Parts: sequence; structure tokens; C-alpha cells
Amino acid sequence: MSALEIGIASFPALMVLIFLRVPIGLAMFVVGLVGLVIVTDGTNVAFSRLKNETYTTFSSYSLSIVPMFLLMGHFATLGGMSSALFKAAEGFLGHRKGGVAMASIGACAGFGAICGSSLATAATMGRVALPELRQYGYAGGFSTATLAAGGTLGILIPPSVVLVIYAILTEQNIAKLFLAAFIPGLLAALGYVIAISIYVRLYPDSAGTRPPVPYGERFSALLRVWPVLLVFGLVVGGIYLGWFTPTEGAAVGAAGTGLIAFLNGGLTFSTLIESFYVTARSTAMVFFIVLGAGFYNGFLALTQVPQELSNFVVSQGLSPWMVLSLILVFYLLFGCLMDSLSMILLTIPIFFPVISVLDFGMSAEHVAIWFGILVLIVVEVGLITPPVGMNLFIINAMDRKTPMVETYKAVLFFVGSDLVRVVILVMFPAITLFLLPN
Amino acid sequence: QEVTLKLHQFLPAQANVPKLILDVWADKIEADSDGRIKIDRYPSMQLGGRPPELMDQAVDGVADIVWTVVGYTPGRFPGTEVFELPFMMTNARAASRAYWEMFEKHWKDTDFQDVHILGAWVHGPGMFHTKDPVATPDDLRGMKIRGGSRSINSLLSELGATPVGMPVPAIPEGLSKGVIDGTTIPWEVTPALKVPELVTNHTEFTGNALYVLTFVLAMNKDKYESLPDDLKKVIDDNSGLEFSIFAGGTQEDSDGPARQIAADMGNNIITLDAEQTAVWKDASQPIYEEWVADMDSKGIDGQALIDEAKTLIEQYTD
Amino acid sequence: MHKIMMSLARFMAVLGGIALSALILLTCISIAGRLLNGFFHKDFMQGLLPEFSNWMIEIGVGPVNGDFELVESGVAFAIFAFIPLCQITAGHASVDIFTSTLSARVNRFLRMVTETVFAAVLILIAVKLYDGMASKMRYGETSFLLQFPTWWAYAASLFGAVVSAIVGVYVAAVRIYEFSTGRIVIVDGMEADA
Ligand code: NA
Ligand code: NA
Repeated sequence: MSALEIGIASFPALMVLIFLRVPIGLAMFVVGLVGLVIVTDGTNVAFSRLKNETYTTFSSYSLSIVPMFLLMGHFATLGGMSSALFKAAEGFLGHRKGGVAMASIGACAGFGAICGSSLATAATMGRVALPELRQYGYAGGFSTATLAAGGTLGILIPPSVVLVIYAILTEQNIAKLFLAAFIPGLLAALGYVIAISIYVRLYPDSAGTRPPVPYGERFSALLRVWPVLLVFGLVVGGIYLGWFTPTEGAAVGAAGTGLIAFLNGGLTFSTLIESFYVTARSTAMVFFIVLGAGFYNGFLALTQVPQELSNFVVSQGLSPWMVLSLILVFYLLFGCLMDSLSMILLTIPIFFPVISVLDFGMSAEHVAIWFGILVLIVVEVGLITPPVGMNLFIINAMDRKTPMVETYKAVLFFVGSDLVRVVILVMFPAITLFLLPN
Repeated sequence: QEVTLKLHQFLPAQANVPKLILDVWADKIEADSDGRIKIDRYPSMQLGGRPPELMDQAVDGVADIVWTVVGYTPGRFPGTEVFELPFMMTNARAASRAYWEMFEKHWKDTDFQDVHILGAWVHGPGMFHTKDPVATPDDLRGMKIRGGSRSINSLLSELGATPVGMPVPAIPEGLSKGVIDGTTIPWEVTPALKVPELVTNHTEFTGNALYVLTFVLAMNKDKYESLPDDLKKVIDDNSGLEFSIFAGGTQEDSDGPARQIAADMGNNIITLDAEQTAVWKDASQPIYEEWVADMDSKGIDGQALIDEAKTLIEQYTD
Repeated sequence: MHKIMMSLARFMAVLGGIALSALILLTCISIAGRLLNGFFHKDFMQGLLPEFSNWMIEIGVGPVNGDFELVESGVAFAIFAFIPLCQITAGHASVDIFTSTLSARVNRFLRMVTETVFAAVLILIAVKLYDGMASKMRYGETSFLLQFPTWWAYAASLFGAVVSAIVGVYVAAVRIYEFSTGRIVIVDGMEADA
């Protein structure tokens, strides 16, 4: 077998392992290792890489943003920010038809602005909002689907761990990517609200009603979200205004949310230890995937698969838009089965060179940023597409009485809204690039 | 072909060094060997790892050939730092020639004994690019500057500036966000990093340049030894002194057009004359003493290396 | 046994958490120092309180020297320290869409094989990291600004890698026991948290 053939054969091997429930990071690591041993005819290259590569992968300054953002999200919950957000949104929207669900989306968007992770946003807001939705007579599947979809705002609205990884893989500016994600993230929230209003018109029984809250209470609830605004302003604002780099912003955010949580009593010795446990698990999971993907991608590069694929696509003479559409459809399909971070790490080194040689009538940097946002959206859709959608599992697990099938049905409305948004953003790149300088 | 060599390095394929030096070199070898040698090029660390690992990748055979900055692994090749000392180099051709000769004499069978070195060179004059003008050492006080080498960082501290460590790709963001007030780099890389748009002042020196970095093109030793004699000869004929001077000179030649971009934008290019440069040289004397003491502690005669490098560079400077 | 291993994994997670918190504080101090340093250099401060401003600068109010490389080596230690807890609580991301249709016994078998391979990989990682550390030591490499020996950072990470390997071997042993007896010792955690 030639190196190229071994590289191609590694795809099905990887898929088989992943579907046999081998942890994704381990699967990539092992396939990369075995592949390297075969291609280089010995263990020397693979083992020599291991001497430094685990350390240098984990000691990346840019990636150190990941554990900091994860800790920050946990501190934000301890500081009562998630419930404050929900109360404020519910005060203004709760009495409308489907209003509590809309308020959940609003609160998810707010929490997404201080949390870099979708699953953390889904889990956190699920704990806060799910009991209330059920209390006000919202149908089980509709409630879980709403929160699963809302959770994706954790990544779509900056800060965003997946965007950080994309920026590092493609050597793009993290701050610019965050800026570009902003309007599409708000569009996502808007799209979900529209999906909710359509859903409750089609199924009026799926949502109960709730009396309006007096205006005084609404505004006092709104005032209690100041820590969220402060942290978002400081972290994301500070990154743009030039006070600090993204990693430093994450450190400031973690320290700030920690301080707020401490001051209002949410952060104690035992909850701090608990935060360390939660952060440890998620961080180790993310970095093991990063390590496995780095190892696998190094092997793939050696087999020349990415170069050959890029040459092949270019030689087909397809229009750039056709290639882009094919890639996005690929992500949507695979997103039904895979998780977002692994997909990005696995495929960007292959697809990005293909996209970057195509002419979309934009600067290379704009194409890279626009493509990054599109990929971010389509892989995030994967979190809520049946059958494998991490957000669906997390939220559904919080409401044992609701069958998974109910969640699957209701979530299709939100998936539909996602698809419409992808089409709009593909057709009008200016929406994504609007906020960028020059 | 008989032999395929993997050439690994950290810059994107379209950057100056890969495009104007490494590709030219690799194409020539492929042609001279009548296609019996094929050199696969892996830019941007595609084979995995981060830039400081490149040297180990050549030693261990993860890649067959690597291009790397010697200073990425501080402490490992102490002697070559002599070329990175402030105001040591004059121009890249002279300094690269001196560097290659001293490499063969002192370091080939010691520091670099685990690899087969194909070329050793320096880039064009390193200089300041700052938001506020810098003419005298005092002007640096309080500025946050990204220093290009270990000794430049010492010099910056010495002069009351704050050295900030950041990798080259982080410079544009650092400048635009005010994390740094300026940076030291040669002209050549300024357009790619958009430095002329981010700062308005550039400070050049006369005679000797502020600093340079040292590069090597290194090959895995066993891989080289495994080549048949006629292919070894193809590699040998394209490597060594001539190639090192070509590489250094090519990098320096890219400085001119880059400088023109800054000039066309109306930036303030400060060229300090020999007298003004002498003030800076005096101010950097403590760095020399510090370095000699550091080398002494490692059992290396630092002063002798300084004297030798100075003499050679002077001799080769026209 | 399970209690000991769990305590060990939790202890490492707390150590990593403390390291991460320390880096967060260090970064904040460095930012504050940098902003203040710029402030004391501002013309109006130099005009208003020149002596105080220069004194503040002299005593070293500025960014922490080498903060960048401290974050790099510190976060590497933290991540290695985080792996044991992820390992023992089955925290790695995986896809169970297909395996959920298989029998419990087949699942136990697959998990046994997976965890055994995982343990082997963690041992390999620790052994090779040791080789890497030895080579950094031999070549005398140091960090860029602070110039501390690079092998110190490798050694700290190696500590986490060794504990990860120990916990990995334990989890593999548990899965072998579970497969052969059919008794479940470690219940699977949630699939993923990021
Ligand atoms: Na977010
Ligand atoms: Na999915």
C-alpha cells in the first residue's frame, strides 16, 4: 500500500473505532500512531514525536484560554448569573404565548456571552429553566428541545472555545473571529425565538400561560444581570479595545466571575473544589481530543491526503460556491453523528487548504473568517441533530419523563431555523464581515 | 525517484524563506539529481509539533530536513548566540559567511554533532519598529517592546524598556491592542505582519545592526549517511558556505521592497548615523559582559568568540 | 482500592485547579502591572507626580517578566493533572449510538479492550515524556525570558502523566474485572462536558 492509500484507509478505520465507542481522542491518537508506524516503517518517528508533542500540545499559550473559559462559566453559575439572566428575560417575555421558552433562549444568549462552551451553557440553563418551563405547562419535548438549541448559543455567541481552536488551526486572529461571530450569534437567537413562535402556533397546547409580572419587578430583575454585562464588557470588550490578548481576557473573566461569586456567597471552599473537578474533566476531555487530532493530522499530512484532496477538488473545476456547499452539507450530515470539536480538529486541516485556494471575490482573511463562522454554525447544528446530539442528551437526561423521541421531534424546528440561517449567511457574507475593520 | 526527503518548517509556503530560499534549494537538488531525489515540502508545521521541536525532529528523523531558528531552543547552542549580540552584524552576507566558517570550526562536531547541517545564515539587519520615535537609548524607557532574541531582551531591560515575549505571528495583534508599543524585526517580515500600518516609526542603524537571529538548515544524520555517494555529492554541492551566503543575502534583499512600503506610507524612518549608533553600542556593553560571564559558567571562552566573530564580519564587510 | 484511586485523581484535579488559578491571578497581576506602567509613563502623570511615577516604575510596577512562558509550563502541568479524574470518571467524549444497540456483555468487552489500550497509551505517553525530559536536561535548554531549565516544566508534567498512567491501569483492571464477573464497579459518567 502506498502512503496515500494508507492515509485514505485510515478514515474507515477511525470511523469504526469511534462507533465502537472508543473515546474520540483515543481513536485519533491510536490511528495516527499505528498509521505513522506503518507509513514510516517503524516506531522511531511516532515515538520520537511523543517525546515532546504531549508537552508542547498541552503547554500552548493560545489553548490555555480553554480551561480558563471553562472555569469562568462554572464561576458564573455559582455567582447566580444564570438564574439572574433567566429571571430578567422571563419577567419581560414570560407572559406571552411561548414566552417562557423565548426567555430561556434569551437567557442562553446572555449566558453564551460569558461562557465559551455549548454543553456547559445547555447544562447550566437547563438546570435553571427546565423546572420553570415544566411548571408553566410547557410540553416536555418542546422544553428540552428549546434548551438544547439555546445551549448552542454558548458557542455561537463569543467567547467560543470552538472558534479559538479554529483560529489556531487556520492561523487567524481570535479577536476578529469573535467579532465576526457576534451578528450571526444574535441571528441564531432571533431564529430560535421565531421557531418557538411558529411552534406554539402549530401546537397551542404545548405551552401554558403565565400572568404578567409588574413592571417594577421586571426592572429590578433586569438590574440584577449587571455582573453578566460587566464580565462580558470586560472580557470581550477588553479584548477588542486592546487592554489584553484573548488568553488574558479569559483570565480576567475567570478572576472576575470568581470574585463576584465569592462576594455573593456562591463560591465557597467546597464549591471551588467542585469547580476544579468539573473543569478538570472537561479540560482533560478537550485536550485529549486536541492531542489525538494533532497526532492524526500529522500522520495524514505525511500521507499527502490533504494535498491530494485539495488538488482533486481544484481539478474538478467546480465553482467555489459548489465546493463550499458540499463541505457544509458534509458537516451537517456528519454532525448527526460526531461532536463539534472533534469534527473541527479532524477536518479543518483537510478542508481549509481547499477553501483557501478558491476565489470568492474576498480577501483571504475574510474568506477564512467567513468560512470559520459558517463551519462553526454547521458543526453546532450537529449538537442538536438527532440521533447523536450532545445537547439533546444532556437536557433530556434532566427530564427523565420526556421520551427522547419527543425531544427529537420538537428540535427539528430549531434545526430548520439553523438551516435557514446558514443559507442566509452563505448568500450574504457581508452579514458576517460587517463588524470587521476595513 | 530513489529517495524522498521530508522538509519541515514553520512558515507558510508563500513566505519569503520557503519561496525564495528553501524551494529554490530543493528544486535545484531535484534537478541536479535528475529526479532521483524528491523533496516533499511540509510548511506551517504540518507534520506536527511546534517550532521549538524542529531541531529534535531532525535529530530523531521525524523529518529528514528542517529549517529552524537556533534561538528557539535557548541554552542548547550557546556559542551561536555570539551573532545575536547587539550591534554585532553589519550585513547578512558578511555575517552569514562568518557564521558558517565559525560553525565549521567550533560547533560542527560539538553542539551540532547530532545533525548534518546544510546551511547556516542570518537574516537582514534587525531594527526597531515603534509607535513613538526612538532615536536615543533613553527614548526606550517605559516602552513595552517585543525583543527578537535573548540578548535583545537583556538590552531592553538594561535600557529601562519592558521586554515582552511573544511569537512573531502575535505581533500584529500585540501592536494593535497596545500589548506592545513596538517590536524588533528585520524589514523583510514587516509587510506580512502589517507593521507599517500599525506603527509610524522605524529606527535603522549605521554600520552595525541592532541584532539578528541565526538559522540552520539541518538534516537527519543517518538519512544523509544512507545516501549513495553520488547523491551525497548533489546535496554537498548545493550546501555549505555558498548556499549560506545566498540564503542570508536573499533574505536581506527582501528588506528593500519592504522598507519602500513603509516609506510610501509616509512613515518616519529614522536612520541613526555612525555617531548616534555609537551611543547605542556603548549602552549595550553590559550585555556583552553579561554574555561572556554566562559563557564562562558553561566553560566557553565567550570573549574569544566575540573577537573572532567581529574580526571575520569586519573582514567580509565591503 | 476504588476510594484510593478516586482520592488520588481528585487530589490531582485540585492540584491542577490550584495551578490554573495561580496562572489566572498571575495573568491579572501582569495586566494590571502593564496598564499601570503605561499610566505612570503618561505625560500627564510624569508632569503631575514625576517622582512618585518614576519610583513606581523603578520598583518594578510593570508586566510580570516571563508571564507568557509561566502560563505555558503551568497550564501543561494542570492539564496532565486533570487527566486522572477524566479517566476514572469516564469523562472522555465518545459516541454510543451504535453500541447502545449491542448487548451489555459485548459492551463490557468493548470497554475492556478500549480501556486496556488507553492504559497502554497513557504509559507510553509517560515513558516518552520522560525521554523528552532527559533530552531537555542533556541539551541544557532553558526558557526564553526567565531562563529556567525547560526540563523542570517537563518534570512537573511528568508527575501528572505518571499518575494518569497509574489511574489508567487501574481503570483497565476494573474493566477486565467487570467483563469477567459481570459486576459493574465504575458507572459511566455523562458523555462530555464541553
Ligand atoms: Na460563548
Ligand atoms: Na448531531
